Amino acid sequence: MDPMFLAYSYFRRRKYQKCDEICSQLLEKNPYDQSAWALKTRALTGQVYVDEVDVDEEGIAEMVMDDNAIATVARPGTSLRKPGTGQGLPSQGVRPVTNSGRPVSGFVRPGTQSGRPGTMEQAIRTPRTAHTARPVTSASGRFVRLGTASMLSTPDGPFINLARLNFSKYAARPNLAKALFEYIFHHENDVRNALELASLATEACQFKDWWWKVQLAKCYYRLGMFRESESQLKSAIKQQEMIDSFLYLGKVYVRLDQPLRAVDIYKQGLEKFPGETTLLTGIARIHEGLNEMDDAVKFYKDVLHFDNMHVEAIACIATHHFYTDQPEVALKFYRRLLQMGVYNTELFNNLGLCCFYAQQYDMTLTCFERALSLADDTTSGDVWFNIGHVALGIGDVNLAYQCFRMSLASNNDHAEAYNNLGVLELRRGHIEEARAFFQASFVLAPHMYEPHYNFAALADQLGDLQSSYNAAKRAVDAYEGHVDSKELIQQLKQHFTLL
Amino acid sequence: MTSKWLDAYHDPVASLYTFTQCLTLADIQADGDWKLIIADLGTGSYDMKLKVYKNTNLMSEHAIIDLPTGVVNFYMDTLEPRTPAIAVASGPYIYIYKNLRPYFKFTLPPLSINQIEQELWEQAKHDNINVFVLRDALEGLRSDGQLLTVRSLKFLQLESTDLEAFANLHKHAPLKRQTVITCLDTLKKSLADEDAISCLVVGTENKSIYILDPEAFTVLTTVDLPSIPVFISVNGLYDVEYRLVVSCRNGCIYTLKRGSKEGSKYCIELNSQPVGMERINKTIYVGCMDETLQCYSSKGKKLWTIKLPTSITTMKTLDYSPRQLKTLLVALSNNEIHMYKDKYLVDVIKTEGVVTGLQFGRFGREDGTLVMTTRGGGLFVKILKRSAKFEEKDALAGPPISQNQKINIPKKTKLFVDQTLRERQNAVAMHRTFQRDLYLLRLNTARQYVKALDNSMNPISSDPTEPLKLSAQIQGIGPTFKLTVNLQNTSLSQPTSNLIITFNYDDKLYSFRNKFIEAPMLVPGLNYAFETFIDCLNEKGVSDNVKVYVLKSGRSVPIITGVISMPVSEAVAVA
Repeated sequence: MDPMFLAYSYFRRRKYQKCDEICSQLLEKNPYDQSAWALKTRALTGQVYVDEVDVDEEGIAEMVMDDNAIATVARPGTSLRKPGTGQGLPSQGVRPVTNSGRPVSGFVRPGTQSGRPGTMEQAIRTPRTAHTARPVTSASGRFVRLGTASMLSTPDGPFINLARLNFSKYAARPNLAKALFEYIFHHENDVRNALELASLATEACQFKDWWWKVQLAKCYYRLGMFRESESQLKSAIKQQEMIDSFLYLGKVYVRLDQPLRAVDIYKQGLEKFPGETTLLTGIARIHEGLNEMDDAVKFYKDVLHFDNMHVEAIACIATHHFYTDQPEVALKFYRRLLQMGVYNTELFNNLGLCCFYAQQYDMTLTCFERALSLADDTTSGDVWFNIGHVALGIGDVNLAYQCFRMSLASNNDHAEAYNNLGVLELRRGHIEEARAFFQASFVLAPHMYEPHYNFAALADQLGDLQSSYNAAKRAVDAYEGHVDSKELIQQLKQHFTLL
Repeated sequence: MTSKWLDAYHDPVASLYTFTQCLTLADIQADGDWKLIIADLGTGSYDMKLKVYKNTNLMSEHAIIDLPTGVVNFYMDTLEPRTPAIAVASGPYIYIYKNLRPYFKFTLPPLSINQIEQELWEQAKHDNINVFVLRDALEGLRSDGQLLTVRSLKFLQLESTDLEAFANLHKHAPLKRQTVITCLDTLKKSLADEDAISCLVVGTENKSIYILDPEAFTVLTTVDLPSIPVFISVNGLYDVEYRLVVSCRNGCIYTLKRGSKEGSKYCIELNSQPVGMERINKTIYVGCMDETLQCYSSKGKKLWTIKLPTSITTMKTLDYSPRQLKTLLVALSNNEIHMYKDKYLVDVIKTEGVVTGLQFGRFGREDGTLVMTTRGGGLFVKILKRSAKFEEKDALAGPPISQNQKINIPKKTKLFVDQTLRERQNAVAMHRTFQRDLYLLRLNTARQYVKALDNSMNPISSDPTEPLKLSAQIQGIGPTFKLTVNLQNTSLSQPTSNLIITFNYDDKLYSFRNKFIEAPMLVPGLNYAFETFIDCLNEKGVSDNVKVYVLKSGRSVPIITGVISMPVSEAVAVA
């Protein structure tokens, strides 16, 4: 068989390694074989390709040294940084929140785990494990980590020496330039050179190729020049409306913290491409980010209308139902996920919880057992925590205690488990331990109001009114609508003024 | 809402130091142009003045010797033209001014002097005893609870070097014990006319109330109270029937009628000190120190209480006869004056300072004028608009608004109904399965728990003799990280010692600058932080777990273990 044909076949079957080998052999024979060269660049790119459009995590540098924010005090509902008081949102007492005060999402994707840290100290602290640790900048983080794999696999130096490349020569040849650009951008992760090539290429085709404009925008985006990125994308869309461009433009606006504008762009895209799930998902995510759960769920449902296998949509809707007191509906959605072949700890854990709260007791514990057997180090803590909740639900305090301890054993920083252990210790009358646990809990997770309040209530009983007052104030900071904390503060204030 | 008041005068730097009791409005020249009379407390120790404002200009000033405690105007004769007199209470005296000239000084009847005290000073006068003996004797008297004269009290306050001079200066003067006026009001004598002759009603520091005859200045009636009066409200006619409502320093309000000699019969006991008392018709309004406005019937029955946003500074009745309007003005410490009609808040006036003096009445030629003085010394005059209407709206009536809000309770779905059906049909089987699973789970959990305990894989110690808690944090972005280990002794009273902290890590990946930390004795309840730096040796973006062990010397098994997932070192990106 013609080796070139075979290489193509491998490439299309995504067997990039093999494709790469054949191309290398071809290039050894004839170093000027342009087709082999182009295929090899594409194969190498394919190995490390990341969908650029998908959400990326904001790095510490972007967040702490953000100079793109337009308004420091945005009006509620217009900024992702300070989500407004959303409608249709269950209170914080029902649905737990992340660091940033946003409800926990039903689907883990970059950017959902933790919000913007308030201070540098918070930013560089990595209280949880490495898998949620924030990269310094988004330009390094994920891209470097993925890129390193190829660096290791080519010990005898890079395939293309960028420093010796004559960009203007390649820019004039569109058949090679595009492959080369992707190679530089994805494989080498050298945005500056990629930008140079792209700008030369777009000039070479008299600014008539929308593709180059999108690539320029990508480069600008990576370099943090969002306004330039925006103008390139707008001009690309004018030339040729593509889903990719709309998605990218939406992403740029999200980064510029203009969520409503991003929604507009997505909607504009939907007019051209009705039923495009990626655009619908984009809108849903923004609504979720703005704490507008009702709207988010509406769009997720639209997504399901067009693609009924969309995992993210199913998971998010299920979570919403679970936290709005309809566990039986959530159970149905999770079962759908199970039928689709998702088989992991998180799903079984959620199924178990739904079964328990929907009173389907015979399946509850089986689900948790499955979850435990599938769990690894990072997830078993949460599974134990949830089993502890079931134990509390059936009144088995001893079992609950053991479960929370197990949760802590597998995840040393499980703040919720610390809090619950504190309550259990308090009920046993071990005041000092309870105090220590509450303290540990709120140090680990200052965004949770429960440990603050529990600590305040305990300190109040012990007569340490000053600590109680401070803790209660922190609880109210974390959750403005917490009535018990407010009452405690009121009580303490009265106490202070009486003296 | 447009204001119901017109700004007539505005002087934030009038440098007045006065209170509601020391403000009055009177037509002192009988020319139909009402003047504002203010007893200014000056600096609080000297420079006290009686100031008369004609319109907004200071017309005349008279020095007052002591701090004024009350100013009233009253008609003391039937002469034409009808010019009222001004009475200024100050110390034990009442100074009467007529036509802006000092007219008469009334002194309160002196009180009886303790016999022994009298004799002591008598002896001191003849130099029979020296000053130190005098002092000791007086001191003895005072500690016996005897009421002494001002001279003796002053004498006791002095340093021993000044005693001689003081005694020599004062011993020849006759000894007098006088009281101090605390409050002052007027009571019409026999006619209810506007310009009828009035008696003065005086409350004093020796718990008495005197009613004085305006022509002869003799005490007509004396009433003794259980406590010192601070506010008096008077109505009725002396010769017919009158009623005095007196609020006292012991937090009680007494009602006195004509003929009653002591006022403890009708008594309202307040739960806080009164800061103002007014009476409108048959109800008594009391502002208290606990930020409440309370209302009582004249029989002493509590009608209602309103909680105010802040503390009350002063109160005054607004009696606007052209409109038959009788409301209560309550000045608050948040720069507002609230106007209450019954228990309804009908208006709020914002002011530029905390109002301490309020007076409403005729000023100049205008009937409805509100005069305010502020704590900062300002003088403000507002005129009530003739078009102003005060509607009483009961904000409290009916159920609270939140009661009508619908709570968003999701409807029970059909799915739920189906599931409950299943539950009902298979209740026994479900229960059995659950119980079996539960036993299995308990067993499983107990096993894992024991395993974890055996390995000491817990960040909390399970050993009752060494109750410890560990938490560890990693800070930094690499290649150097800072590891902070927090240890806390969670026992109540038992300190822990001989602890060692060490680490388990891949030495190809990480290098610890401090691999071995000796912990000091841990005092219960305190948090101890131990820090070490970690260098990441690998540049390939690989990370690993690091274990922290807390060991007790002499034991091979760690007491507690913490597992830390190290973040990826970002050095690669920077390089």
